[in-house]
Amino acid sequence: MKAIDVKSLSKKYGDFKALDGVDLSVSEGEVFALLGPNGAGKTTLMRILTTQIPPTSGLASVMGMDVARDGAQVRRLVSYVPQEMSVWMDISGYENMLIYAKIYGLPSKNMKKSIMDSLEFMGLGDAADHLVSTYSGGMMRKLEIASAVMSKPRVLFLDEPTIGLDPASRKAVWEKITSLSSESGTTVFFSTHYMDEANSYAGRICIISNGRIVRFGTPEDLKRGIGGTKLSLEVSKQPTQKDMKAIRSMDSVHSARLAGGSLEIVLMAEGEKLDSMLACLSSMGLGISRMSSSQPTLDDVFLKYADSHDSRAAGVSGIKNTRDRIRKS
Amino acid sequence: MFGRALEYASEWLRVAFALIELEFRRLMHDRTEIYLRAFQPILWLVLFGPVLGALKAIPTGGVPYIDYIMPGVLIQSTTMVAILFGLIMIWERETGVLKKLVASPSPRMAIVIGRSFAAGVRALFQTIFIIPVALIIGVQVIFNPLYFLLALAVIFVSAGGFAGLSILVASALKSRERFIGLGSAIMFPLFFASNSLYPIEVMPQLIQWFARINPMTYMVSAVRGLMITGDLTGLPADIAAILIFDIVIFAIAAKSFSHIME
Repeated sequence: MKAIDVKSLSKKYGDFKALDGVDLSVSEGEVFALLGPNGAGKTTLMRILTTQIPPTSGLASVMGMDVARDGAQVRRLVSYVPQEMSVWMDISGYENMLIYAKIYGLPSKNMKKSIMDSLEFMGLGDAADHLVSTYSGGMMRKLEIASAVMSKPRVLFLDEPTIGLDPASRKAVWEKITSLSSESGTTVFFSTHYMDEANSYAGRICIISNGRIVRFGTPEDLKRGIGGTKLSLEVSKQPTQKDMKAIRSMDSVHSARLAGGSLEIVLMAEGEKLDSMLACLSSMGLGISRMSSSQPTLDDVFLKYADSHDSRAAGVSGIKNTRDRIRKS
Repeated sequence: MFGRALEYASEWLRVAFALIELEFRRLMHDRTEIYLRAFQPILWLVLFGPVLGALKAIPTGGVPYIDYIMPGVLIQSTTMVAILFGLIMIWERETGVLKKLVASPSPRMAIVIGRSFAAGVRALFQTIFIIPVALIIGVQVIFNPLYFLLALAVIFVSAGGFAGLSILVASALKSRERFIGLGSAIMFPLFFASNSLYPIEVMPQLIQWFARINPMTYMVSAVRGLMITGDLTGLPADIAAILIFDIVIFAIAAKSFSHIME
């Protein structure tokens, strides 16, 4: 059974299409990343999957349950950590957990133990009885994740789980999330703006832009898709149009362009035949004075496919919240 | 079928009680707002009451004027606390709290009612703070534990209904600034066109009609019977009116609650 199965899902707000025919599926136990610019539809997709808002058309199911029809069953199987702050500041961390434990109907016999286990798992054991308003941004995020994992969900939805956290907290949060997924087989579906997180922690990635899925696959697949090693060459003379055409037609070349004074050549991901290419360049009379190379990163993939435009759907309050959180940490 | 209904009911109660407990715990940490909001009703009792009472212009049925207005002032201030509760709802919508609640196994109706009666908890805290002040300035409250508990129940349920109304308004407005203005715009007409400060019979006919469909009239009447006059002949009708108000408000608020989430 698929943990998440989405078929031609759309969500319209008036004339604005937040989601425009999305198809995707996530297997059980997978750690799956959703990437996309602000306003691309990441949060909308996540909110539909957690039954908060109904889709306009199309089908979506979580653990085999239809989100529109069997919402109540879906909600018992999932946990959701929204992008915005979702803790009550004026009570303690323990009390936050206690209220959610009661809402989720955890057995009262083991309630205290489940709460303390989850808090300790996220490294908040010592701060349990402090007011949340005294927590740092990182601690609040950990508390939110602690309360989400306490109910032992089958699918964990995390909307930008590490937004505004410092690098050490980000790493700590991700170590917990990955250990949760590998130990208990929890499916993790997260969105992020940090490409390195998607690269290191996600099994598969989906890039969404303007409400549509534009790329889908493992981090390696996606990077291979835009070619292999990128060479940046300083050449003795400006290549002519004809030279460029010849370079592009070589077997081992994925793409080539002139950037400033240098020639940029992206090699094919497979079978990089550097020697024949260099021989070819010298036969054109292009002497190489300097050369540097780099591997494609997810940033390159993202910049190529994600159409970054004004984030009108993100809304003022979303931006404000993000800023508040960043300021707090 | 019966089993499922029972399961739903228990889930429902569980969530509503958890949200009421949340409010109780919040108040245990910080009651500043309750104290500050108690200032206004105390002013009514200490300043307005004695001055207007000295005129002896208002037929109160033999009750001292301060005693007469105490239930009205109490209801006005506790329902105002409840109305402003919608603000918390808007704030929770702007943060992620409401999203997280809606994605949890909580029936939406239970969220609406749980949050509403959380305002009832605030109202009770406020009542417990105002009553001793009223006693100190000489208001003669009937000493009968049963009457007193019943009066607290009326205040709790009344505040719940008004909090439901504020959730309804919050769903429509979606912004804090607009909400604050509207809160007083709702409360003052209801307060002045009720039996809080004077009997309905002295009002012009048009306002009398409004007062009779004004839920605050029934809330004040019930609390006045239980705390001041001891005359309970109108109590069943008052309680019925309050319950009808609550049920209607909750039904509409639960429907409009989905709107607040979009």
